[in-house]
Order: sequence, then C-alpha cells, then structure tokens
Amino acid sequence: MLARLSNTKALHWLGRQLLNRDNPAGYFDPLAEAINPMWVQEYTPARVENIINETADTKTFVLKPAKRWAGFQAGQHVNICTDIEGVRRTRTFSLSSSPLLWQSEGQITLTIKRLPGGLVTNWMHDALQPGDVIGLTEAFGEFLIPEPAQPVLFIAGGSGITPILSQLQTMAAEDYRAPVTLLYYVRTQNDVIAREALQALAARWPALSLTIIATNESDEPRYLRDSDLETVAGIKAREVFLCGPKGLMDLATDLLVKRGLKEKQMHSTFFAPPAQASLDSDQLGGEVTFSNSNLKVGSEGDANLLEIAEAAGLKPQYGCRMGICHQCSCRKTSGIVVNRLTGKVSGPGEEPVQLCVSVPQGPVALDV
Amino acid sequence: MKKLNEDQLNELQKDLDAIRDEVIADLGERDAKYIRKIIRLHRTLEVGGRVMMPFGFIPPVFVAATASLGIAKIIENMEIGHNVMHGQYDWMNDPALNSQTYEWDTVCTSDSWRRTHNYEHHTYTNIIGKDRDYGYAVLRLSDDVKWHPGHLLQFINYVLLTVLFQWGVGVHELESEKIRRGELRWRDKLPFLKDFVRKGGRQGFKDYVFFPLLTLPVAPIVLAGNVGANLIRNIWASTVIFCGHFTQDAETFTEEECEGESKGHWYLRQLTGSSNFTGGKWLHVLSGHLSYQVEHHVFPDLPAHRYPEISEKVQAVCAKYDIPYNTGSFAKQYGTVLKRIGKFSLPDVVRTRLEGKRELQAI
Repeated sequence: MLARLSNTKALHWLGRQLLNRDNPAGYFDPLAEAINPMWVQEYTPARVENIINETADTKTFVLKPAKRWAGFQAGQHVNICTDIEGVRRTRTFSLSSSPLLWQSEGQITLTIKRLPGGLVTNWMHDALQPGDVIGLTEAFGEFLIPEPAQPVLFIAGGSGITPILSQLQTMAAEDYRAPVTLLYYVRTQNDVIAREALQALAARWPALSLTIIATNESDEPRYLRDSDLETVAGIKAREVFLCGPKGLMDLATDLLVKRGLKEKQMHSTFFAPPAQASLDSDQLGGEVTFSNSNLKVGSEGDANLLEIAEAAGLKPQYGCRMGICHQCSCRKTSGIVVNRLTGKVSGPGEEPVQLCVSVPQGPVALDV
Repeated sequence: MKKLNEDQLNELQKDLDAIRDEVIADLGERDAKYIRKIIRLHRTLEVGGRVMMPFGFIPPVFVAATASLGIAKIIENMEIGHNVMHGQYDWMNDPALNSQTYEWDTVCTSDSWRRTHNYEHHTYTNIIGKDRDYGYAVLRLSDDVKWHPGHLLQFINYVLLTVLFQWGVGVHELESEKIRRGELRWRDKLPFLKDFVRKGGRQGFKDYVFFPLLTLPVAPIVLAGNVGANLIRNIWASTVIFCGHFTQDAETFTEEECEGESKGHWYLRQLTGSSNFTGGKWLHVLSGHLSYQVEHHVFPDLPAHRYPEISEKVQAVCAKYDIPYNTGSFAKQYGTVLKRIGKFSLPDVVRTRLEGKRELQAI
C-alpha cells in the first residue's frame, strides 16, 4: 500500500513536470472524451442509465459513476457539472438512492424537480438522455442518520424529500431500531415524489410511520400545524431532520423550539436556493482589493464579491452562485465579509471565502 | 500617428465596442467546440510526435516526429496558451481553460507572461520606453532609441533571439537592461529568477533529459528531434510576433502623447501600432490568429478564431476614420521587418541618406 502510494506520488510529480499542470491525469481528457467519456479524469464521469418520471415536473436520473468514485452516506449531496451552450455549469443535488444501491449495483440516483427558469434543471429534463455522461464531485454534507440509532422525525416539503428517501431506504435495509416518523408536505397529491417507494417502505418496515399532507388542495392552505407534531410520539427525544422550502423549515423550527427541542437536535439542509439573510445594507460595501490582478474597486450595499469582481472586469471561477458548490472559493487575505445566507460576520484575518455569498463590510483584500 | 479629435475618438470607441458586444453576445457552443477541437489536435500531435520520435532512426519518421512535436508546441503556445491566458475562454468556466491558472509548454512562466505581455505589452503597446516588447531591449527598431555602434551587429542578436526565442521570452521579465543600468538590483529579481529556473528546468528536463533517457538506446535521436521541435516553434513564434508590430508601417508612440489617454485613443494606438498578414486558414491557426494582430490588439479577450469574421468590420471602421489598416502577404510583411532591423542598425546619418536616396529614386 505504502509502495503504491509513493508510486502514485512520484508519478504525479513526474506528470506535473512533464505536463505543466497540477492534475496531470486530466491532460489527456480531451482525447479520452472523444473516445470514451467515462475515461475522463478531471471529474468523476457518470453515465445516465435511466430516467424515471416521478411527477409532472420531477424526474429521477439513475447514474452509474466511474468505479473510482468514493461513495457516499445517506443524506449527502453531490455537485454535478456539465457544459451547456459551451459553458461549464455546476449545481448541487441530494442523492436520493441508498448507498446500498451504489455498493451492489454501482448506481446512484438524483431526483430533480424542474425549477421555473432554472438553466440546469430544465436542461436535465429536456436535453439529458440515457447514455449521456455528466461530471460528479465526491459527496459531501452533514445531513446524516444518527448513530447509534435514536428516534427520528423527518419533516420534508416537496422535492426536499430526496435526501430523506436515501436515508429511509438505508435505515429500513439496516432494520433501524428506533421509531421513525415522516411528515411529508406536498402541494397536491399529484406532487408526491416516490409515493410507491414510500408506501412500500412503510408496509414492510413497521418502525416507520408515514403521513403525507397536501397543502394546497383546499381553499385555505393547510400548512404544518402544531397538531401534526402532537401526533409524533415522544417528540422531545427525537432527532429532527428538516428539508424543504424556507417557509416550512422556519415554521417547523419555531414550533419545535416551542415544544422544548434543542437546537442540536435539529438538522436541516437546503434543497433550493436558500433565502438571503436580511442584512443591514448601510453597513455593507467597501473597497475590495484584488491583489493578483492589481486592482482596487469600491462597492456599495449588498453586492457580493463575485458580482464586484465581475463588474471590475475580472472573471473568477464560479459555479452555483448561491453559496453551495464552493467553485468560487478563494483566499481572503484581510477584511471582514458578511455571509449573505447566514448573516454571519467573518473574522478579519486570512481565510477562504465563497465569493458568491460574501458581502464586504469595509475594505477587503482577496487573492484574485 | 493619425490624429483624431476627442469626439472622433469617442465615436471610434463606440464603433469598436459595438463590434465587441456583438461577438460577446454570440459566444457559445461554436467557440467551445472550436477550442476543444484544437486541443484534441494538439494532444494528438504531441502524443504522435513523442511516440514516433524513438523510431527516428528511419529518416522520414524522424522528420514526421519532429514536425509533429514542433507543430504541437506551436499550436499549444499560440492558438491555445496565448489565447487562453488572454481570458478568451474564461466565459466557459472550465478550470482547464482558465486564464489565471493555465500553464503553457514553454520556458516563460505563465505568471510572468501575464504580467509582461497581457499587462505591459497590451496596455502600453508600441510606446517606446514603456512597451519592453518593442525590440525586446536588444534591438533598435525606431529612431526613438539613440544609436550606438553595438547596434551595427543587431542582426546577429535578432538571429540569436529567434533561435532561442523561448529562453528570451523566459528571461524577458528579468529586465537585465535595467540591472545593467543600475536601476534594479539582482536581489529585486530573486523571486522571478526562482520561478524562471523552476520552469526552465522543467522544460529542459522534459525535452532534453527525460524523454531521451526514457528511450536510452536511441537517446541522441530523441534529443535531436526534441531540439528540432523546439527550434521550429522558436523560429515560427518569433517570426509571427515580429510581423505583428515591427513591420514598416507599424507606428510607435511616445509616453507624452499617451499620457492620460482615453479608451478611444488606446483603440487608435492598437489599430495603428499593429500589422496583419494574409494567408490560408492553417497559416492563421498556426499563428494563433496573430496574423490578425490588429483585431487581436483591439479585442485581446475575444476568442481568436473570431478575428477573421470581424476583420471586415474593423476594416470598415478604419476606413471611416481614414486610419491605415496595415496588412499584406506574409512574405511582404516579414520582408519589411528584416529591412527595419537592418535599417535601424545603421547610424542615423547613414540611414537617412540611404532613405533619401531611395526616395529620390522613387521620384
């Protein structure tokens, strides 16, 4: 093992000398891509094996990643990348299948709703075909099944069900030894994603109690109520997992806190562009120094560093532009930035920042 | 230099910006396909050249291998590296084609190139004293520089620079002329020298040590082929670049006339300080479309394969303002470069007398 490791290290070093790049394996990608796109090294290629219609606006994409992909834990996400009209686009999606499917069949699934006006989700729905290859990163995320087993409450809204599907299948297969409740909110009964799979799980795995609630089928919207939580036995001892639109997540968090649940019991993950924290824009803005480009520009209000850089004529790397994929991360050498999503204020020192969600508060210097 | 008033300069800027905006709005699949095709061609030629080289004991194979590797280096340096580093493909958001991280197959580090070429040369184009690319601090190419007897031998310097072009470009940022004059100390240039040694060492190791040793029994053949490939690239790159700014009618400028200049004036300077040459499609590809040097200098960050398409529009703008558009066959343009190098190697007295004689003859 050690010999192999030093061998790859030596090869990597040699590759860097000969090919002038930090990822020498990617040098032959342009040729590999033309022969067999699954040989590409720069990202993990994944072939689309099947596309399943879940609802009118949601599809499940069954993918087969190249064998070197490291796998994932239930509840994690991946970034996918693909070139659309010549431009590389990166987006984050939750894995909806269980890791067991990856282990046995080498397959994973992404369940993706078409976002109105969304460039990538619409492209995936309209243009992506079985046999096509897209890029994957390794999986990441902390939305994980508790270990050892504890009672769990899942609250999902719409396509926020996707990471929970992965978790439920995994827990059922492992015969999870604690009560599990899923409260699943959908706009109408036609919007239920993976209804059959959920019902089959509930039928063969007695620990799961499943409630599907349609919010928009009556004249009055029927959102999450405290009485829904009332039905969950021993709720105070449960680990709660939230995934859905911001309105649902805020409402649920509120009601749960009132019931005396602690913050560390509650886990949430984003599935859609998160709403922005309200920032006091009077205090925001400042002079931004792009050290590597010898450029200094002023900024006002809540413009983020990526927008400021682009307005100054720079073209830094970017991906999702919503704080998820870290494609635009770079080093801040000094200055304070406010995270647009969380409202969190950074320290003044050197640290990596995500350009697309960082708003300067006073002068900021970047290695861009 | 052609003089335009403030209003005309503003108008000129608007006209050229319009050409640029139209291309920017149209960037997409076609441009991505083009550069990916060129990169595939480069990889194929490089792999082909390297694989054939050990069989170079068969003379036609030696020629094919050397040509293949030489052309690979030309394409990588000129149509890929130079253009990628100008940010022509940054909009593709592909980390492998990012202007700030791309590293090319030549001695000069990309960081040094981005400073000396993208910034200095493209900002201060042909301003004597500020654009160090004008004569590369070893050649006298205009009477803005005072003549001294050393210039008599500058044709030898030119040949040496051409043959060793990648090393010349590599040490360009050392600014040895400023060190000689005592304006800079060696110590100031230590970080640059460190990078230069690392990259130069890397390039030398690859072509002159690693690949020859890898095929030890035929090492001399591989070494000779690799030297040949580098030489082909050096001569071609140097020649193309000299045709871009040192032709007979390419103008030079003084610092005074460019002080606080407007964008319109910058455009005018790029138009009059650069020169094109004509030829077939592959001549343009192999020159990295620097055969459209005028278009390149006006729009350095538009994908270069678009220059032929916008050339007519640029010419129309030039005609509108009566700005000369400098172009001609490759042979004609290169001829005037050689003449310029020769002419300015002579003392001004001799040169002006010769020029005067020619003018008289012309009359």
